[in-house]
Amino acid sequence: MLLHVVHVTRYRYSPWVDNAHHAVHLKPASTARQTLLRHSLQISPLPAQQREIMDVYGNSRSFFSLQTSHGVLRVVASSVVSTSCAGQGCSNAEKSAVTAPPAMPWERVREQFRYRAGAAYNAAWEFVFASPYVPRDDAFTQFAQPSFAPGRPLSEAAHDLMERIYRTMVYESDSTEVNTPALAALQQGKGVCQDFAHIMVACCRAMGLPARYVSGYMLTQPPPGQPRLIGCDASHAWASIYCPAENGKGNSNGSDGAGQWLDFDPTNNRAPGEDYVTLATGRDFLDVSPLRGVIRGGSRHILQVAVTVAPIESLESLDGFESPGGHDAPTAAESLA
Amino acid sequence: MDNNKSLFAPLALETPSHLASALAPPALSGHFDELRGCSSKAPTSQGSTLPLMQSASQGQGQSQFQSQSQGTAPGQNAQLLAKPWTTFFNCLGAEGFHDLNRRTANLRRQIRDNGVTYNVYADANGPQRPWSLDLFPMLLSPQDWADIEVGIKQRTRLLNHVMADVYGPQTLLSKGLLPAALVQGHPGYLRAMQGMQPAGGMFLHIAAFDLSRGPDGRWWVVSQRTQSPSGLGYMLENRLTISRLFPDAFREMKVQRLAASYKALVDGMRSLSPVADCRIVLLTPGPYNETYFEHAYLARYLGLSLVEGSDLLVRREHLFLKTLKGLEPVHGVFKRLDDEYLDPLELRSDSRLGVPGLLQVIRAGNVQVANAPGSAFLESSALLGFLPALSRHLLGETLSLPSLATWWCGEQAVMQDMLPMLKNCVIKPTYPGSGMDSVIGHTLSQRALDEWAGRIVRQGEDYTVQAYLPLSQTPTWQGEKIAPRSAMLRVFAVPDGAGAWQVLPGGLARLAGKNENIASMQHGGSSADVWALGGLMGSMGAGKATQPDVLPVARPGESHVPAPVNRKQPVTSRAAENLFWLGRYTERAENSLRLAQLSLQCLGGEDQSSPPLLAWLTDMAVANSLVLDTVPSAAHSRRVFERSLIAGLSSAGSPASVGSNLTALKSAASAVRERLSQEQWHVIERTDTDFLSRCEAFKAEGQLAAHAMEYSPIEALRALEAASGHLAAMTGAQADRMMRDDGWRLLSIGRYIERLSMLSAALARGFETGAVLENGGFSAMVALFDSTITFHAQYQQRRDIPALLDLLVLDRDNPRSLSWVMHTLKNRLAQLADSTSGDVSDLVSNLCEPHHWALTGADTARASPDNRAGYITLIEQLKNCQSSAFELSDRISRRYFSHATSASLSLGT
Repeated sequence: MLLHVVHVTRYRYSPWVDNAHHAVHLKPASTARQTLLRHSLQISPLPAQQREIMDVYGNSRSFFSLQTSHGVLRVVASSVVSTSCAGQGCSNAEKSAVTAPPAMPWERVREQFRYRAGAAYNAAWEFVFASPYVPRDDAFTQFAQPSFAPGRPLSEAAHDLMERIYRTMVYESDSTEVNTPALAALQQGKGVCQDFAHIMVACCRAMGLPARYVSGYMLTQPPPGQPRLIGCDASHAWASIYCPAENGKGNSNGSDGAGQWLDFDPTNNRAPGEDYVTLATGRDFLDVSPLRGVIRGGSRHILQVAVTVAPIESLESLDGFESPGGHDAPTAAESLA
Repeated sequence: MDNNKSLFAPLALETPSHLASALAPPALSGHFDELRGCSSKAPTSQGSTLPLMQSASQGQGQSQFQSQSQGTAPGQNAQLLAKPWTTFFNCLGAEGFHDLNRRTANLRRQIRDNGVTYNVYADANGPQRPWSLDLFPMLLSPQDWADIEVGIKQRTRLLNHVMADVYGPQTLLSKGLLPAALVQGHPGYLRAMQGMQPAGGMFLHIAAFDLSRGPDGRWWVVSQRTQSPSGLGYMLENRLTISRLFPDAFREMKVQRLAASYKALVDGMRSLSPVADCRIVLLTPGPYNETYFEHAYLARYLGLSLVEGSDLLVRREHLFLKTLKGLEPVHGVFKRLDDEYLDPLELRSDSRLGVPGLLQVIRAGNVQVANAPGSAFLESSALLGFLPALSRHLLGETLSLPSLATWWCGEQAVMQDMLPMLKNCVIKPTYPGSGMDSVIGHTLSQRALDEWAGRIVRQGEDYTVQAYLPLSQTPTWQGEKIAPRSAMLRVFAVPDGAGAWQVLPGGLARLAGKNENIASMQHGGSSADVWALGGLMGSMGAGKATQPDVLPVARPGESHVPAPVNRKQPVTSRAAENLFWLGRYTERAENSLRLAQLSLQCLGGEDQSSPPLLAWLTDMAVANSLVLDTVPSAAHSRRVFERSLIAGLSSAGSPASVGSNLTALKSAASAVRERLSQEQWHVIERTDTDFLSRCEAFKAEGQLAAHAMEYSPIEALRALEAASGHLAAMTGAQADRMMRDDGWRLLSIGRYIERLSMLSAALARGFETGAVLENGGFSAMVALFDSTITFHAQYQQRRDIPALLDLLVLDRDNPRSLSWVMHTLKNRLAQLADSTSGDVSDLVSNLCEPHHWALTGADTARASPDNRAGYITLIEQLKNCQSSAFELSDRISRRYFSHATSASLSLGT
């Protein structure tokens, strides 16, 4: 599927901001399941300095700074991504998350992430530990346990966990702040996609399993005849669970070995498919936050975020879009927010 | 031992070392006795105190235990002292022995005078405790020191390697030599730094190690600090103090010199910098930090600018210092700030102490930071268990100085082995921030031990178990006798300028309280100077023994001593602003003091019933916040007015009472402490506390005598007089003992702005109320301008207005006349502009010019209350003068301090 994503972030400041430093994660990755075909990042006012780096998780991250006084910051990321059905999530049956689900019992996965001297290393180690937005807490262990019966295959347990989060938690936009810790959301029993994802990640880590947070987008326009899925009006988020290859050996050169990451979207109780675009992966939201900044001035500010994801026929059909006149498109998108 | 022969000396018992021995009880049993150089007799066999050291097994990283003991067997020579201590006491001599209490008093005084403090509670109101230092140094024999030196150099090299690997190829992780839980699972591992390559491959420019000596006489490494280790300043201050108290022993024993090595701290960074004219700053979290004294001390000693995060700024991936002259590039940061606060953009977004964008500058290689951010994971005690294997792998060497046996319980097999051993061990947190203190197994009940075992089983990786080591006990002087105290030794490694490290020859010994085995300055322990004795061939520092520690060293309090680096420090915008306000508050305090004194004198004087004088005093007291404007005027009720004035002297509620001016003065001064001499700071501190405590005293008396309604003006006047003496000392120091740079110019400008506004307002009100047209008011006005003596000398008993205006407005030689103040103010502004290559024309454009005022109209006026009207123009001019002073202050703030004040704010979506 060919998807066009426009992500507009706008801050209005009062008083004006004298200078600012920002860091953004707004460029989708190219992965096994998606290819980035086109990308542009427009920043206004024009930054005094800008640099793109690859962060420790392999995401593209851009830093920029503004040294002129400004009342509005506007960042428009526009991307065209070609997604495919490769791997999981493309079965037409909504609930069957994984094609050829790995049958490894979850305890065997956990064992691989317990340190023994000289034991093989696996880059997924990075995602076993607590992180700032996913603290360790008994509440997660208790919530997770019913899904992790002894000997149960990991993918099955994870699928059950996803479903239980979906059934237990109430989706309620504006019910939580951006930085609601996963624990508070679990206790309230409600939250947004970010909280759902954090809870799932926290539960897996509570069982000793590597799990990561994925930020991205989903196609919110439903295919004809199908109900509109609950999604975030802005960006979306879900969880990804590591499943080692059947031979059980990680690769000692620090790669993920032959294992794979299985994606689960607890907000919609389904596996992400070709209607999903992955933006960035990290331990939690903080690692992949779309836009961070430190400003001088602007003690009062209003934030507006608008995201549109639209299927397109071909790249050519976009050509008018990206032309100078195409600037209007993001504005139109904002009105949707 | 060498001192066996002293047994045969005829006067053996009368030598000072025997006296010392007689005065010193032995160390607690089971501990090494530093004084006697042997272990105190243990209740059980020596082997049993460290049963774990031989069975340790952490992954591949078993801590080595070498069983040969260097100590003398218990009981042998119990009365004799170890060789260094024999020499020490013999150098001291019998006379010196009797002088110990006097030297202790001397030491205390010196610490107080030098303002060596340790902030016990890290907040603005917390007490600053004087640094605690014992009279006796801790002595390390040449062999002990040589062993420590070799071992510490090797360990620093190793830690640097480990850090380079973790932030580089990560082979240690992939080979399973280092658990991910101690890297990615440690909050001190900074993902933003992955892949960084510091200049010269030098991640660590300073590393601190805590060592202790076991009952067997061997030194063991207990922990290491790399993030921002403290102690360097205190260590040097200890040395300067103690070496002076024992000059003979210090010379005789060939103590290795410390001071000369300090330069290495920044020399390493300079030599690695691609920039020839490399600027290095010392980044502090600020005056509320527990070791701020040390930050200011080191900055001054090393010739670095002491800066807070808000003094720095990132532009285009380069770091700059905000100074009065604009932005100046910074190439090196010696940081005393924890890593997580360094950059609110990428690390803790709530940090107000860091510099947004700093990590980008570091990644771009445009600034060196000592130490490179991300070293905190090296501080985990859990790492100690892995170091032997890491050393073999990375260096191909075994560790020459052993770690105390340490087991990380995140490894299942190790944890199982450790559970039954907890009673003989210490349980430590693996990660910082857990809030957990170390727990000593043998102090716990069986039930408590079981609870700990339960926690360890549930979350093994959180806990690290270390063998329990009774700390060696070193002699301390306790007034009448020598008492052994448990000691932990901290030593420091710094670059040697050739890509490797050297160990500063000496250390900081932290002493536990009586009967305690934990040595911590936070927990009320004391400290001791550490003498590394020279004499072994090839030992570092031996060749430097001729360089005295005492002479070329900058006293912390004196800004005129040449710093090792001869370069004028720039004035940071923040320092400039604080100096400006220091000036204003100094003058304001002086004026409000004089006004309060004058008011109390007038109210008790012979003109106390003159209505114009009382009206003027009331006006001035209200305008200067000495009394609230709701208080009845002096004319209406003299006693209520007087009582309110006295009660308000120390009142914190009133924004400009004398007491609050003194407090504000102190607070501005504390922000620029590194620019003030120690005496100057001392006077400032004393003025404030002394005045407030005097006020409390006579207020209490006043309450006791409340029925008599007697607030004693005499007591109040005495307090004011004492404070004004102190203020004179302060202003004297400002005029005479400060570097006349732009910072000083702003201080002086601050004072003159305040003087101009106060005096012109006083004079205007004097004419408006008609007070100056009477004898009492006339004298009071001259007194408020501090010009009584001059006036009498120049005009004898004349009391006419032209003479008054001549002296107080026109006279260009009287430092209190408006013309002089304005003239000087303009000069200072011009000098400031010259030096900051700016233009003052916009600053001075609207300033009044009192020396051009036409005062001839006043000339003919007769001094009588009836013709106040003749002074309308003058009153108008005076009021303009006051408002132009305020306007100038605003312009200066906008021009020089604006970027120092606005706070930054973090955003996130």
